[in-house]
Amino acid sequence: MVFYLRWIFWGSVAVILASFLYYTLPQTDVVRVVETEVRRVDLGGENTLFWSQPDSGQAVNDTRDVFFIQTVQRNGKPMVYRNEDTGWSWPPYFKFDTANLQTEASSLRSPDPNNAQWAAIGHYGVRIPYLSIYPNAISIRPVSGPDVTIVPWIAIICWFFVISFIWYVTARWIRFKRSRISPALDRLDAKYDDTTGRISRWLGTWRSKPRG
Amino acid sequence: MVFIRFLVILLIVQTVVFVCLSIYSRLARREKLETEFEARRAMDPALTPAAKDSFIRDGLAEYDGSMRRKLILLVYVVPIAAIGTIIYTVNHM
Repeated sequence: MVFYLRWIFWGSVAVILASFLYYTLPQTDVVRVVETEVRRVDLGGENTLFWSQPDSGQAVNDTRDVFFIQTVQRNGKPMVYRNEDTGWSWPPYFKFDTANLQTEASSLRSPDPNNAQWAAIGHYGVRIPYLSIYPNAISIRPVSGPDVTIVPWIAIICWFFVISFIWYVTARWIRFKRSRISPALDRLDAKYDDTTGRISRWLGTWRSKPRG
Repeated sequence: MVFIRFLVILLIVQTVVFVCLSIYSRLARREKLETEFEARRAMDPALTPAAKDSFIRDGLAEYDGSMRRKLILLVYVVPIAAIGTIIYTVNHM
């Protein structure tokens, strides 16, 4: 039972950590930009956490206009990105050039699939239609074709550091447990055995004695 | 204002790390000096506790002027350099 509970607990921790990293770290998609637009969004709903900041330096309101970049992926399926400043807050992309990025995206528009201009769009986040959650575009650049390979170096490096850190902490903890906690528990255990032994001997004095 | 808040939080976190690391590093050096002195005493039992004190004091004085101690200042330099690099690559490249 404890075995399963332990696995469930650490499994949930791992899933939460992995999805957090997956959401936060940069990814690159190769897409065809078909349209760019500005849409008003109302914040304060269930998906508030998944919107970023208003343009750096502006007031924070419950409603504001957000840039969107509508694209078609290599497999023909649509993907819509929002384009918002992250400013000085989380995640630490320090993105202030939202309006410039929107301009670059507009200049790469390629609605005609037969004469496609492909673009690599760097972003973080995920698209979840059920909650109207959009990934936030970070950069865009033209690429020669849909089949370019892009290695996600930054994500790889971050994963490497996170896993090394977890490894380091776990190794330290196991060593600490072996050298400090286990001996203390053993002592406690021995003491407990000793004490219960005495109590049971005392109880034994009340039990009926075998008659000789 | 958001920028100032960010900067203040960053500086507070960096200072906490800097202070902890400085204390830890000096204590580790002291411990190292102590074991080194005990090793010397094992070879030369004539060494007195006063000699130990002065040995540790000299060792720590040397540490205070060392490059190793100044390297802890990287706690301030590295994150700010990293943030600068990110700002440049994200907004100007």
